[in-house]
Amino acid sequence: MVAIVDPDEDLVRRVGQGDPAAAQTLVARKLPRILALAQRMLGDAAEAEDVAQEAMLKAWRQAPKWAPGKARFDTWLHRVALNLCYDRLRRRREIPTDTPPDRPDEGPAPDRGLLAAETGVRVDAALKRLPDRQREAIVLCHYQELSNIEAAALMEISVEALESLLSRGRRALRQALSDMAPAGSPRAGRGDGR
Amino acid sequence: MKAERLHELADAYGADLRRWPASERAFAESLLAADPSLKAVLDEAATLDGLLNAAPAPVPSAALTARILADAPKRKARGRLGRAVWYLGAGWAAAACAGVVAGVGLTTHLSADARADAVLYQSSLTGVDDTEVLG
Repeated sequence: MVAIVDPDEDLVRRVGQGDPAAAQTLVARKLPRILALAQRMLGDAAEAEDVAQEAMLKAWRQAPKWAPGKARFDTWLHRVALNLCYDRLRRRREIPTDTPPDRPDEGPAPDRGLLAAETGVRVDAALKRLPDRQREAIVLCHYQELSNIEAAALMEISVEALESLLSRGRRALRQALSDMAPAGSPRAGRGDGR
Repeated sequence: MKAERLHELADAYGADLRRWPASERAFAESLLAADPSLKAVLDEAATLDGLLNAAPAPVPSAALTARILADAPKRKARGRLGRAVWYLGAGWAAAACAGVVAGVGLTTHLSADARADAVLYQSSLTGVDDTEVLG
């Protein structure tokens, strides 16, 4: 069996011993990642904060009994946060809201002078409209920069299935944001290339 | 690796080879070096990567950070009750040590007396025997 090298191992051990400096370092290292994951999965800032806080509380409880060598702490924390996100997404589906699911992008008309912030809002909105599993694949691989093997393991699917989700997700995003692609871009204004 | 696979990888993982499967990066690089026209495949993917990167990541608020840190594991502080228990334990340990020392000393003393008594008794027995034998 290949030993798992975990860059957080020593830090987690010290957190488990009640070292306040280690706890601060772990929060500085992990909270932005987990908050970003939750924000992109849920598309809601308040809910993302709740998920991030809950995930970190579970980390505090886990630290004293953390057994190194079985998994990387970062992967474990992603799994915890993803489960919390899925709980909330499931609850949303059980309580219908006024927001219609998966509708075509109705963002502003093409405008090459869009501010970066506006671009971000459009991208977030397009990401939010993706099916959950496609969004999860893109969030894990692009934003969280997990390897394909780590992302597939977290999603409990094969690497081939992960690639399929990524391709379909990126294709949908290209379509939704086609009016924002720079002029002359090979796929600007073009639908599905494949 | 064929050019078709390069398209598949770029469609899935984008233009940044660091996001590609580690096992296929070297092949991709050699393919791109051999046929520079294939770089257009990466340029296509880079357009969407650029848009994705324009969506900023949220920054944790100071309040959220403080709430989380407030619940972090703490070192076990020794309170008044803890100190009392510690002193009580230390007292019992000292008493036990003293008991062992005293016990060892007493045993040594008693055994020495017992040995002396035994010698005296044996010598008295010998004396009786001598008297009886010698008259």
